[in-house]
Amino acid sequence: MSEIRANPKECNRHVPFEEMEMNAKVKRWLEDGIVDLFLGYKMVMGHPLPHCFAKDKIEEVDDLIIGTSRYSLEKIATHISACKTDIKIGMLARDCNQRALNVLYIWNQLDPENVQTVNVNCCPSNLKEHGDCSYLEPETPGIYKQQVGVDNTHRPQDVEIYDQQERLSRWMYEFQKCIKCYGCRNICPVCFCQECSLEHKELIETGALPPEVPVFHLVRAVHMAGRCIDCGLCEDACPVDIPLRLLYRKVNEIVVNIFNYETGSSTNQSPFSILGDKVTLAPKPLHIKRAETTNSSISPQEKN
Amino acid sequence: MDCKFIPSICSYCGTGCGVLFEVIDGKIVSTLPMKTHPVNEGKLCIKGWNLHEHVNSFLRLKQPLIKAFGRFIKADWDEAIQLAADRFREIIEKYGPDAVGLLVSAKITNEENYLAQKFARAVIGTNNVDHCARL
Repeated sequence: MSEIRANPKECNRHVPFEEMEMNAKVKRWLEDGIVDLFLGYKMVMGHPLPHCFAKDKIEEVDDLIIGTSRYSLEKIATHISACKTDIKIGMLARDCNQRALNVLYIWNQLDPENVQTVNVNCCPSNLKEHGDCSYLEPETPGIYKQQVGVDNTHRPQDVEIYDQQERLSRWMYEFQKCIKCYGCRNICPVCFCQECSLEHKELIETGALPPEVPVFHLVRAVHMAGRCIDCGLCEDACPVDIPLRLLYRKVNEIVVNIFNYETGSSTNQSPFSILGDKVTLAPKPLHIKRAETTNSSISPQEKN
Repeated sequence: MDCKFIPSICSYCGTGCGVLFEVIDGKIVSTLPMKTHPVNEGKLCIKGWNLHEHVNSFLRLKQPLIKAFGRFIKADWDEAIQLAADRFREIIEKYGPDAVGLLVSAKITNEENYLAQKFARAVIGTNNVDHCARL
């Protein structure tokens, strides 16, 4: 265990009022049996680490913090509920955790009846200047990456200013850096499939580095459509800084434009669920919202 | 239901990435990169991500085996340790401590690796210590 303290400010700091209030609430929840376990953060040797609080060690709740780092607590909750299905889990939830939970409820990975959340402040964004989260704006890329790669701070439309050829070569530069660590999939809160296409021997060749580009990344990107909740944990975990969040944002933009499906806030399964009864494979006009599509599709000829 | 998070250091190579084991009911279910660790800053390679897998592997040897008559025979720990100690002593007395070398493993913990090198240096008296992932 490293002796280096990650964030000296975190140690012996003044406990803000919201945190005291939060701790009292969590204590009450555990004592009253509203939740059996509570997933939050605690300082361990100078690192804010996830911690599971329980009734039999109630005094630990005093150490509960919101923390500056972000782990996928909802993924941990799915592991716990896989061992014991009826256990009631409480957890700290930032906005991204909340969106991930919604997706997990929809896909029956967690039962919303058994999950309670304490909502806390989220990442800084255009709407929120102050954030308590580790996901700050990504670093400005170096000169070489600016010349040949894709800037992680870009939005999908910023990349579209490059012509097709250049865009391809820039993305290929990013993809060929891949060391196939599977970190993006392992850390993803909404990756829960028993069998993963990325490990399928016939789809993805084994033993080659970098993995077959761009197929490896595009297979994952396609699977992220209607699943990705834009938390950015994949990009955070990528050892070679591939702008994955940007890629999945683009994919989800298509899902919003074509199916009017907002991943993380829509209450039904994504249109890509082949098990869903409402899914049709009929081509839909591009860039038209669902409401308009339905109106225009009921033309007088069809009625007859 | 008992769920714990144990911080540790990845034992696969000398980089020293910080990892976090997710332990549910005494069983390691996954390895996570430690976000605030100064070495890896929340990133891991494929070996680090799968650090927990050999712990629960069905191929794992759980009992000492003694080779006798060309076959491996199950033994208890006392018997196996006694046999190893006797043979080591024999070899050290005959050829000196440098006739013994110790190969430690990426698949045991950082702390066990430390104990193993201590055993080689302080008990056997040799500096012949090596590790399978010496990068």
